[in-house]
Amino acid sequence: MELVREGAVHRAAYIDPAVFALEQERIFRRAWLYVGHESEVRAPGDFVRRRLGPEEVILVRTETGALAVLHNRCAHRGALVASEASGRVRQLRCPYHAWTYRLDGALLGMPLPEDYAEAPAQGLARVPRVDSYRGFIFASHAAEGPGLAAFLGGLASALDNMADRAPAGTLTRFGGSLQLEYRGNWKMFMENAVDLVHPGFVHRSSVEAARAHPEALGADGLAQQGAQMFLANGMPAREWREVPLHAFAGGHVYMGGFYRAGVIAPQREDPAFREYREALVGRHGEEKAAAVLAVDRFNNLVWPNLSVNARFGALRVVKPLAADRTVVEVHCFRFDGAPPEWEALTLQFVNLAASPASLVASDDLEIFERCQRGLESAAQDWIDIRRGAGTDRPEPDGSVRGAGSSELAIRQQFEAWRRYMAP
Amino acid sequence: MSAELHAFVLDEARLLDERRFRDWLALFAEDGAYWAPTRPEQRSPHEALSLLYEPRALLALRVERLERPEAHVQTPASRTVHHVGGIQVLSEEEVRSSLVMAEWRAGETRWFAARVLHRLRREAQGLRIVLKRVDLIDSEAPHRALAVPF
Repeated sequence: MELVREGAVHRAAYIDPAVFALEQERIFRRAWLYVGHESEVRAPGDFVRRRLGPEEVILVRTETGALAVLHNRCAHRGALVASEASGRVRQLRCPYHAWTYRLDGALLGMPLPEDYAEAPAQGLARVPRVDSYRGFIFASHAAEGPGLAAFLGGLASALDNMADRAPAGTLTRFGGSLQLEYRGNWKMFMENAVDLVHPGFVHRSSVEAARAHPEALGADGLAQQGAQMFLANGMPAREWREVPLHAFAGGHVYMGGFYRAGVIAPQREDPAFREYREALVGRHGEEKAAAVLAVDRFNNLVWPNLSVNARFGALRVVKPLAADRTVVEVHCFRFDGAPPEWEALTLQFVNLAASPASLVASDDLEIFERCQRGLESAAQDWIDIRRGAGTDRPEPDGSVRGAGSSELAIRQQFEAWRRYMAP
Repeated sequence: MSAELHAFVLDEARLLDERRFRDWLALFAEDGAYWAPTRPEQRSPHEALSLLYEPRALLALRVERLERPEAHVQTPASRTVHHVGGIQVLSEEEVRSSLVMAEWRAGETRWFAARVLHRLRREAQGLRIVLKRVDLIDSEAPHRALAVPF
């Protein structure tokens, strides 16, 4: 059955476990998926455990300095080989019968090899493709397909912008992680992040709370950043319409900025910012530094499951667990060479906008759960995604620009979905 | 002294259960803060991510919002029981306790367990909270929307 048609999506795309299983095969085993950052695996033997689509994997730096993504499944009896979230090891060893593997997954040995008529040779299974762009590591379960740069396409610019904001030229992951969960479909997060009509309604309570407390704008940095961010969600609909959306082949999309007051203002003039700008000019020269700082975008989505907030040094990775269950993991990055205030800005951004306790994100999670419940209704099968279709403006490179109030991004994501889901 | 601090911690939790959020907020010192870190060993909200770190000025926005009809995550409102036990008065200014919070909302009960630290100060109006630190035992796990303070 065709689940996507002109301007509409069938509700089965969100609620049917069979569709979810097919998505895992055809999207999450085909696309490039973010797996980690170079700063997490600097030295040989450094590893982190991750989920890559439907699989438990280990991202590891091998003896030769190369990157490998290994399935976290012992070749012998199938136990998880790595149980810690991260660490540094010389070899990987299964806790069950001590089968031991080289960092690239090759089998080194096991106890009692003489008990085998023919020595086993199978090591840890490797994810076939691993590549890195500006320090961001992606992997694909598909042995063949477009390369990472081609996959990222127009959204490579978001990763460029985050890396370019570091005066020393590198980013370092810091601050641990935060995970949000909701009883709803993974696509809702990706759609909502670039649906610019929802903030005025979904986030109204935090807008009103900030309006009721103007003194928060004059309080400490954190309350100030919070109040500014909450108030920005209260923009009138016609101003949201002016926020540009730019959607690319493959379902990637970014939205322009809408919140640029106070601590994140590009024209800040305080000593810490002057120091930062000088350091950035030192790296890039005056012209490029100005261009890097002028990039004014909020959410940058690499479809199917990565959201990049370059200016704030934050990534959100969407992990689909079931048709009606999703976890979103937040990672923070230090702009190496920037004053320490920048770390605080990043932590505060996540705290205010992306924690499960956030006055903003908690209402999004609530709405996702209500959508999931509502879509169980068999009364209407089709979900309307036509808003603003008349304002879509195709560009020569195949991308499409549209007004902020448009559902362009959702249409583009489903166009990508349809292509991936084809047999 | 110890009995007073003991009672303070119980009363503070009861205000949350009675949804008297403005009275609850008034227990915080002007420079007070509420903090739920993501890791037990975290020393500061400025070194790593927190589930929640709100100095009083931000906490005032949270409280304001909890009472607004447009707060979807509180429509319908939660009903909670904060069960505080193992209260240990460490000094005139520090109390440690264990917390189990049950939350009923929209047809579902959720459970939270935490170690709690109250750092207090005696002011003209009485005891005030300088820091309430809540370490959920599953602080780094995925959480669904969190609305009512622990």
